[in-house]
Amino acid sequence: MQCKIPAIGIASSNIVHYATGYNFKYNNGMPIRYVSVPFPFTGQPRAVDVAYVSGKDMLTGQPLMSAVVNALTRPLTDEEKISGAPPQEAVEPRLLPPDWEENLRQLFDDREWSDFNSIILPTEKRVTAMLKGTSHKPDEVVKTINITGGARQLTVEKVAINAVMAGASPEHLPVILALATQAPFGNSTSSMANMVVISGPIRNRLKFNCGTNAMGPYNRSNAVVGRTFTLISKTAGDLRNNVNAWETLGSNLQYNNMCYGENEEALPHGWDPLHVEMGFKPNDNVVTVGMGWSSIASVGASQSIYPTHFLMRDYMGSFCASGSAACIVMDPTVAELLKDVHGFKTKAQLSEWFSQNVTKTAASYWGNGVIQSTAVPFALQGLEPYASWRKLPDDALIKPFTNPKAIHVVVAGGKVQTMWFVTDFAIRRGVLIDDWA
Amino acid sequence: MKSQLFAGLLGTLLVMPVALSSSVSPTDPQQAASAKTAQGAATKDAGPFPQVPRITAEEVERLAKEKGNVVFVDTDDPVSYEAEHIKGAVNIAYDPTVDAREQDQLLSALPGDKLIVFYCNCSHEEDSAPMVLEMWELGYDHDKVKALKGGLTRWEQLNYPLVGTDVSATHEKGN
Repeated sequence: MQCKIPAIGIASSNIVHYATGYNFKYNNGMPIRYVSVPFPFTGQPRAVDVAYVSGKDMLTGQPLMSAVVNALTRPLTDEEKISGAPPQEAVEPRLLPPDWEENLRQLFDDREWSDFNSIILPTEKRVTAMLKGTSHKPDEVVKTINITGGARQLTVEKVAINAVMAGASPEHLPVILALATQAPFGNSTSSMANMVVISGPIRNRLKFNCGTNAMGPYNRSNAVVGRTFTLISKTAGDLRNNVNAWETLGSNLQYNNMCYGENEEALPHGWDPLHVEMGFKPNDNVVTVGMGWSSIASVGASQSIYPTHFLMRDYMGSFCASGSAACIVMDPTVAELLKDVHGFKTKAQLSEWFSQNVTKTAASYWGNGVIQSTAVPFALQGLEPYASWRKLPDDALIKPFTNPKAIHVVVAGGKVQTMWFVTDFAIRRGVLIDDWA
Repeated sequence: MKSQLFAGLLGTLLVMPVALSSSVSPTDPQQAASAKTAQGAATKDAGPFPQVPRITAEEVERLAKEKGNVVFVDTDDPVSYEAEHIKGAVNIAYDPTVDAREQDQLLSALPGDKLIVFYCNCSHEEDSAPMVLEMWELGYDHDKVKALKGGLTRWEQLNYPLVGTDVSATHEKGN
């Protein structure tokens, strides 16, 4: 939209050089001028923000407001008058020139084409062998990923390259291609994480671990498929530390993305597998991706004096409840307890119970940064229940998980102990693996 | 020596995980518009994203009046939204150059028990239909998320209520 009103960007010092870098600079039709303030400013005392405004522009060293006025009023240079399609970025070749192995490994690390664990170098021979795992053509586009500077086409070949790097086998490729449609993983300043759930008969055929240590480092298929999602996200998604990836603490879960299979064989009668709940057939092979931040593990065995779902409810009360999203992963023994002792005949009944019984104070709800950027605008625009919640006193209790369909339950584990995880992961619709065979 | 041979072999055949030569294209609005037009070219009358169910302005206005269980989502940019939008609508701007998942936190905050109607100020729902698809990916029921056929233009033609800084008092009230 052209308003023909002079405008500049104000960026914090940790990202301003990204904003003034080639890709971002030319992505908007004409270069945008920036001034820069220190970081962070969100959640800081007002005095800190006032000091930023009365301080200096981090780019020019001028007083900030003078820099703002200068940037708004200085005549455009010839370079800044560029309009239409931006100049092309230098392109890179499909194949690298010959080199020593250690040099190539160093190159991959330097470019951040790795997770900094050892990779299998993707020779053409290895990639060709990997491509035998699918009937799809190497140049078929799996997904177009919008990155700063343009739309990057993630092809079957590029997915296969990442699969080789992660140590996968050709038979994993259809799973990985289906998973690639959900790439890249979340990238924020907070610690985003993902969950990858495998459903259907393919779990057993490829020996995904759905039982004891389903989420631990004890299984090849879980390990390589989960890892490939990270490598695809970093390479095709162009994620580089402190360049365009700024998660202040990061998340250890991003190494493997909690990849595991649902223990469908151990589901209590009446509890459908995750993919069946989404409308897929029981024999469909499906990969499902969840995205969130928090994962809290239970500690110690379930106790009859305080039912398990009460404790899950308590833990869920600490989540931000953005989008009502939650995913509870439980051992089959817990699922049996919840069904046989506490009467939850289906997963949906349990989700409904959480929706009705998880509470938190209005102050705690509105005090979350994600809620501030999502529910607050809606509240100001009059959308319920947010508009009414906004008027409540701080200590009023609300039920923030308004949509029970966004609360998912997955059963995994080896029946060793009555353990479970509650997470705030939003589960997206699953992807049919069979489409990528 | 063994290492050298191995390295040489690798180097000759190594494929880059990010081959940019055919993968990065500048994102400009014209290209995005062309892509959308191409998607819509399949069936002349169906418009783009024919798999997305449409609802007419007449039908949704009746539902909103009778049951009140409709949420309108305006997918135009915030400036256009402030200038003019359907009364009661919330704003989630659609940007074809950004992954729709960037809006997931906002989209998933929409209620799951009401009819959600996305609309744009465009001729064939080009900017509202993609949001419907993303809502499906988030697990919303297919029959509870629709695109407004004819968008804001059709709503305005029927003189249904609008609000905003550019809306006259007469139109704000509606017919």
